[in-house]
Amino acid sequence: MAVELKHDPYNLIITGVGGQGNVLASRMLGSVLTSQGLWVTIGETFGASQRGGSVMSHLRLSQQGSWSPQIPSGQAHMVLALEPLEALRVLLKYGNPGSQAIVNDRPVLPYAAITGKAPYPDTGEMREQLAKLTARAWTIPATKTALELGAPIYANIIMLGALASLGELPMNRDDFERELTRSLGPAKVPRNLEAFDLGASMVAA
Amino acid sequence: MNTRGPRQLLSEVQQAGLCVGCGSCVELCPYFRSHGGKTVMLHDCDLSEGRCHAWCPKTELDLESLAQALWGEAYAPAGVGPCLSVAAAQAGPALGEGVYQGGGVVSALAAAALELGMVDGVVLTGGEALEPTPIVARNLAEIKACTGSKFAAAPTLAALNRTQAAGGERLGVVATPCQGAALAQRGLKPVNQEAPTNPADLVLGLFCNWALDPRGLAAFLASRVELKRIRSMDIPPPPAGVLVVRTDHETLEIPLDEIRGLVPPGCAICPDMTSEWADLSVGMFEGRPGWNTLIVRSEKGRDLAEAALERGWLVLEEMPKSNWEHLDGAAQGKRLRGLRAANQQGLLGTADDPEPKALRVGAQLMAQIEKATGEEA
Amino acid sequence: MSNLDMTPGQRHTVMGNQAICRGALEAGVRVVAGYPGTPSSEIIENLARAADEYGLYVEWSVNEKVSLEVAAAGSLAGMRSLCAMKQNGVNVASDFLLHLAGSGVRAGMVLVHCDDPGALSSVNEGESRHFARMLELPQLEPGDFQEAKDMTKWAFELSEELGQVVMLRSVTRLSHASGGVVAGPLPQGEAKARFEHHGTLLDTNRGPVSSAPVSVKHARQQEKLARAVELFEQSPFNTYQGPEEPELLVITSSICQLYVKEALAMLDAAGRVGVLKLGTTWPLPPKLIQKNLQRCGRIMVVEEVIPFLEENLKILAAEMAAEVGPKEFLAKREGYIPSTGELNPDLVAEALARALDIQYQPRPAEYAALAQAAAPSTDSPRELAFCPGCPHRASFWSLKNALALDGRDGFICGDIGCYAMGARPSNYGILKTLHAMGSGTGLASGFGQLGRFGMDQPVMAVSGDSTFYHAVIPALINAVHQRSPMSLVVLDNSGTAMTGFQPHPGTQNNAMGQPVPPVDLEAVCRTLGAEVTVCDPFDLEATREAALKMLADQSKAKVLILRQLCALSPERKGKKLYDVQVDPDKCLGGQCGCNRFCTRAFGCPGLTWERETGRASIDEVICAGCGVCASVCPAGAITKTERG
Repeated sequence: MAVELKHDPYNLIITGVGGQGNVLASRMLGSVLTSQGLWVTIGETFGASQRGGSVMSHLRLSQQGSWSPQIPSGQAHMVLALEPLEALRVLLKYGNPGSQAIVNDRPVLPYAAITGKAPYPDTGEMREQLAKLTARAWTIPATKTALELGAPIYANIIMLGALASLGELPMNRDDFERELTRSLGPAKVPRNLEAFDLGASMVAA
Repeated sequence: MNTRGPRQLLSEVQQAGLCVGCGSCVELCPYFRSHGGKTVMLHDCDLSEGRCHAWCPKTELDLESLAQALWGEAYAPAGVGPCLSVAAAQAGPALGEGVYQGGGVVSALAAAALELGMVDGVVLTGGEALEPTPIVARNLAEIKACTGSKFAAAPTLAALNRTQAAGGERLGVVATPCQGAALAQRGLKPVNQEAPTNPADLVLGLFCNWALDPRGLAAFLASRVELKRIRSMDIPPPPAGVLVVRTDHETLEIPLDEIRGLVPPGCAICPDMTSEWADLSVGMFEGRPGWNTLIVRSEKGRDLAEAALERGWLVLEEMPKSNWEHLDGAAQGKRLRGLRAANQQGLLGTADDPEPKALRVGAQLMAQIEKATGEEA
Repeated sequence: MSNLDMTPGQRHTVMGNQAICRGALEAGVRVVAGYPGTPSSEIIENLARAADEYGLYVEWSVNEKVSLEVAAAGSLAGMRSLCAMKQNGVNVASDFLLHLAGSGVRAGMVLVHCDDPGALSSVNEGESRHFARMLELPQLEPGDFQEAKDMTKWAFELSEELGQVVMLRSVTRLSHASGGVVAGPLPQGEAKARFEHHGTLLDTNRGPVSSAPVSVKHARQQEKLARAVELFEQSPFNTYQGPEEPELLVITSSICQLYVKEALAMLDAAGRVGVLKLGTTWPLPPKLIQKNLQRCGRIMVVEEVIPFLEENLKILAAEMAAEVGPKEFLAKREGYIPSTGELNPDLVAEALARALDIQYQPRPAEYAALAQAAAPSTDSPRELAFCPGCPHRASFWSLKNALALDGRDGFICGDIGCYAMGARPSNYGILKTLHAMGSGTGLASGFGQLGRFGMDQPVMAVSGDSTFYHAVIPALINAVHQRSPMSLVVLDNSGTAMTGFQPHPGTQNNAMGQPVPPVDLEAVCRTLGAEVTVCDPFDLEATREAALKMLADQSKAKVLILRQLCALSPERKGKKLYDVQVDPDKCLGGQCGCNRFCTRAFGCPGLTWERETGRASIDEVICAGCGVCASVCPAGAITKTERG
């Protein structure tokens, strides 16, 4: 299958805070892209996945073969961030002038911010920095919308919907519908597709 | 007002060895608790001003300001402090049978105050001899369950704090001199409240020379008797100089010299023997077993004493002048010893002294103590 | 359906651990055992899920040594067997492994050991590669996902050919990463287990099995290694890529080979550098090494943590100095490659750039400056904290209070599990020692004896339920028997929570989901002679009082079991016990009398601080509904309502 990649390997980072469903999102995305005939390498941080730490999944997409499960510094093409501070954290290390980012606007306060030992950065300031560090960035209310749909975990699907609608990667709604049916069972598909579509509408130009 | 925060309370009082475990800071908030007679800070609190520090009787106790505010006169009148009257006293027939230390006057006054409706409850110290615990007594039976001296410092004020937080009740407190001072300060130092008030509606003061560290006492006694078998403890009037410990089957007499090391250093700087900041103060009556000394200090105290006498809670007799003079002299002696000790440790100052001080007095008294300290040295 | 169902000939994206499982299935494995430990756990998990479908026996054993014994029994009875564990597990299993190496095995047996360079999920970055050399066992190291499957399959064949256990080493970045794997066919046929033991002691296939007589068996063991070397010389898993006569030869193994590949691409230096990637790392095949050492004079060795390949290569280079000439090594001892922490493409690129004199800039200077300027925003790192609703937070809160009230500067010896995070400031920094499984109790048993030398601090130990069965029992027996005045607190959350909720001897189901008789933790402690108290840690007051009572009793060893389900357990996950709310009118906020007690001191991630209002509030998305904070609030402002 001949699919086009804007870069090879194409480097995508999904970031967030433990417990947000980062791993689930990376696996679904990996599965969809594998079915397009791509080589997908995913590097994941598991230890902190449930415990409030920063969590990243590195996805490498290639026509050639497996790549290092760790993306080199400054080489992220796309950042999918479930939390705004994490978006910034990832861009500082992996960003470059061509990087793009889709960012969920809902902050998750770090322990130090909850206890009052450290401030959580100002939302406006973070948005400015985000704009400076990316070629294009979208900040979307994924968690808020997910809660309206009934559960915060839909935020992942909303983010994936946004990503898919950009046309950066060789995948579309049908591919996702197949993957959702396969991984979650048919009963859960309609609500997830709704989330997916809402996500897509949030980045529509 | 020289109020600082909990971290300073920790360093100036607990870590400096001055804490006597009075309970003033306990259960005002979730940070300070008392266990086995020891006051501990469970979690760090970073406030720069706290009630714990403001009300602690072992730091920033400004005796001069207190005296002016409460008595309208200068601190350090001779001897026992402000006094409307003094008498020999004993519990009257209304109190009924029971084992009381001395004359049972504290129990009688507490019971009378309840009967008269002056208060809804009286905070006093119950529990075992070695594990004194504060309770709020709301009837005679509960008062009677708390008789007997404890000799170990008790966080009595914690019970007041707890009950106050629940709100609504008027409480009397049976207080040692440090606890009386802590309560008096609350009327002067506002932290987190609009108008400072003394939360106690009645303070029954206890004479006190010193208390013992409960854990130290328990450890000391454990080497001599089985702690579970101890039934009561008593220090008979001088010149006995012993602590009498009664167990199920024996009576032990321990020379006081052997337990002096268990007196918390905070007691050594205490200038108050007769609970000067109370409405009424009660203590031993020297040379007359079964009787107490009763000092009436405030109008409220006088009302209670008179009503108690009338209703058969109290029996009063005139106090011989020699006894009075002896008591006054002993009280003045403790005051000067306490202030001198504080001064020697750098813990005494005047109101305008910028350094943290445990006690503050007027300039005149300060000069007098400085002079005495100098002579001693 | 198991996630090991893969279509032969087709490429799937799978985790390294899954690839290892598939390799084992393709080799016809029958008996599988292990003890959970990141990053190895998914190996047993996936095989357990596939047990019914593929006719396997799979167990989570009580500890790694026993798991190795269980797997060895399979091999000795003619069943191909696999045993999996993390690096420290090899330490636990090594006593038996030494003897098994001496006795040899019958059907193919593979020990998969997963190291954790960088200690991403460990409290050490111990190296289990060295066991292969120390115990004289062959070792394989897959370099990518495909190899993880293929080498696992081959490891069984190799093991059978040698009559020896084969060690197969993975690392976190392989085990926990996913990549493309083309599946192979599965074998057909039934196997019948039988242990032959009527032959002589020297009869490898029919005699009793032992590492004695040592004089004969040790020599045989070394013959097996010599045979392994012969096979390794020809192994397709050892590859060379690059110019015939490169400027620099990189020798590498494991996942590091992907970093080398990536670094060469980043530096555009593939034309200057040769890469010898080794899949068989012990014993090293000398002819292959010699041939490659002859390519050039400068050798860089790229491997993680302690120099294993490097030292073994240097010995060979010295032995063959006459043939290959003098070599300049650029490795750990020379300061090119760090010897702690994990590697990544950046670190390898840095070493290569230095060796090749290349200037490398990953991104323009202006961008780097922008990033630098934004850096302060991300200054506060995310401290790992117990999950919302975690019983450990409640337990440690009460233990902290009890220790403070006790007032003798008592302390807690920690152990391995989620609760090890109790050593972090975000979890009250309450654990003061932290070592191996079971060590907390052993240390406490020792500390307890020091009263005779004037130590007046009371000591406690904590252990999880799985850790209790794994290694605490002997330490507790010691403490009881030696009458050490210590208290063991078992934080019983009904599963091996840290690694993903695997069953253990105290649970009612085994790895394959079948019902099994649980071993009663409380009864075990009582039978050992310990006084036992059981509490629900969500009852903060009862727990604190129980702990205080234990601290006061300095006459013997005691056990406090704090029992409450893990917040991530299947029974609790996603289900709130209570709806929890903060009444902003009652909340005292930063006032004296509270000073943000719930958010500042208790610190559950489900509670947040509203800066604008100066009040605490519940984050509905994060709160797990345990309701414990309601008993923490001094003002009664937090209320909990039971859910229907």
